[in-house]
Amino acid sequence: MENKILKKDQIGKLYNELVGEYKFYAPKNHKGNISFEQIEKPEDILLDYLNSKIPPKSVLFPKMEVLFEYTLDDKDVEITDRQDLDEKTLIFGIRPCDAYSFELFANFFSSHGNVKDEIYLKKKENTTLIGIGCNTPRTTCFCTSVNGNPFKKDDMDLFLTDLGDSYLVEGISDKGKSLIERLSWLSNAKEADLKKSEELAKKAEEAIVTKIDAKGAVKILETSFEHPIWDEISEACVGCGTCAYLCPTCTCFDVIDETDQYNKRGRRIRIWDTCQSCLYTKETSGHNPRNTKIQRCRNRIMHKFSYYPKNYDLLGCVGCGRCVYLCPVNNDLRVILNKINKIEKKEEKKAVV
Amino acid sequence: MSNPYIPYLTKVKSIVTENKVNDIKTIELEFKKEEEYKKFEYIPGQFAEISLIGKGECPIGIASSPTEEGTIKFTIKKMGTVTTGFHSSEIGDIIGVRGPCGNGWPVEDMKGKNIVVIGGGFAFSTLRSLVIYLLDEKHRKDYGDITVIYGNRDPGEVLYTDVLEEWKKRDDIKVVLTIDREAEGWTEEVGFVAPIVKKVAPSSDNAIAVVCGPPIMIKTTIAVMEELNWGPEQILNSLEARMKCGIGKCGRCNIGNKFICTDGPVFSLAELKELPDEY
Repeated sequence: MENKILKKDQIGKLYNELVGEYKFYAPKNHKGNISFEQIEKPEDILLDYLNSKIPPKSVLFPKMEVLFEYTLDDKDVEITDRQDLDEKTLIFGIRPCDAYSFELFANFFSSHGNVKDEIYLKKKENTTLIGIGCNTPRTTCFCTSVNGNPFKKDDMDLFLTDLGDSYLVEGISDKGKSLIERLSWLSNAKEADLKKSEELAKKAEEAIVTKIDAKGAVKILETSFEHPIWDEISEACVGCGTCAYLCPTCTCFDVIDETDQYNKRGRRIRIWDTCQSCLYTKETSGHNPRNTKIQRCRNRIMHKFSYYPKNYDLLGCVGCGRCVYLCPVNNDLRVILNKINKIEKKEEKKAVV
Repeated sequence: MSNPYIPYLTKVKSIVTENKVNDIKTIELEFKKEEEYKKFEYIPGQFAEISLIGKGECPIGIASSPTEEGTIKFTIKKMGTVTTGFHSSEIGDIIGVRGPCGNGWPVEDMKGKNIVVIGGGFAFSTLRSLVIYLLDEKHRKDYGDITVIYGNRDPGEVLYTDVLEEWKKRDDIKVVLTIDREAEGWTEEVGFVAPIVKKVAPSSDNAIAVVCGPPIMIKTTIAVMEELNWGPEQILNSLEARMKCGIGKCGRCNIGNKFICTDGPVFSLAELKELPDEY
């Protein structure tokens, strides 16, 4: 398949052609924050951005999502299932780290236990990702340390490279390739465009200077549950949960019934929840297995860098850096991982001396 | 596609108040659709997410045995919003049931073994399920000696007095009941569960013990059992945690890399020793 060129002034054309068939999501300035929103007019699509503050996980796993609706009769209950899961969704402009996070989501929602989260999986199946390589990664990005890359293409359907006035368009999956065929008005890419894209990819990879030994941390964490380092790591934390809410791989949720008593109907919803909240594990009896901040901070790090790798042989982090630059007390994950990596080295030193 | 968060609908068939202070009730549920009851195939030790639609959902161990066909039972202590709602429910009310969830007691692996069931207080519900299952005529021949040691604070707290009476009449099960302090009219053992276990001294030879109860009872009982030469792989516990989904998705019931809802709730003591002490 030949690579194509999409001129930046053709974004509106692309939108108009696909919006009838897909719910079209793209980065948008939403109340001062960049997030992936359903686009109503193509001018709203933001093209010049580093990454969204709110990860695009919110498209398939929104902050609040209806699980089912119900009506309450005096002595009966009627339940109505979701009817919208067959709708097709298109996410335009997703970054490689976030596209990879969708794979981690799908992995978790389909593998732990014998019941799959069909709500998420069905939506994912009906979603097309048109992603963009990161020409200028943020200083807080570290995807290359966690099996990612600013030009990682394999989790996308179509992959775009920003060449300045236009995008190089590559079909990655079959879904993406047939989409290219449909967009017959796209012009063919030239040899020079491909070369430029390769150069940009190389430059972007070099721009990510943070190098973390994540695999080393995974190994050390296996034996560091009781280590005093957790005291130090959690000291500054205020327990706000930003790191988890805005993490593209955090999947935890709470379930609540919202009932309109007057009209005798309601809905059971799920909302984002976080292991950083003290109420998250608090039982009705008052007992709380993770009653302290130390335990809660440890759980987040252990979950991504020990429990997740142990269960699925994958890291639970994509290196987007949101928890780094959005933490109000600058409790930097990169620093935390480096501290963990020093645990063993200290002990090795001891052993030699 | 099937939405895993939609419960089966059941109707309350009977309600039994289990204790004198009236904060524990057993609710028997009948599925609205027979085919859904057939799909709800469970073993003792599993739990379900049961809900009062409009109020919320919570995980409760299944107190009935699959051998008691036709209905399912849950023993519920009045604690929070949802359980208080269950306590106010009436015959014919609609209750949602999702499940069965969790691994349950390993009734297949327990075959050919002597079984010791040790329970304290209100935690006896899935033990009721297990013992009824073991005593069922289809299964009794598969298991060796069965010993039940069941302790409570006072006689008014003893659950399932009707089935306990039936068990005591049989000669293929040994039932030891105990209460913490002497009480008028009480003719059985007196003392905490751990010293009674020591007195009964169940043999660990070719045996499996299931231990359920408040944390302090479990701790002291396990200490006694270790003295009696029980190995950690022979002692099974059932854990609880705050849960929302019951199917390994909502995240909160993890202990280390395990989820109580899908990897448990039943863990052997040997397995628990490998996990962080965070439950």
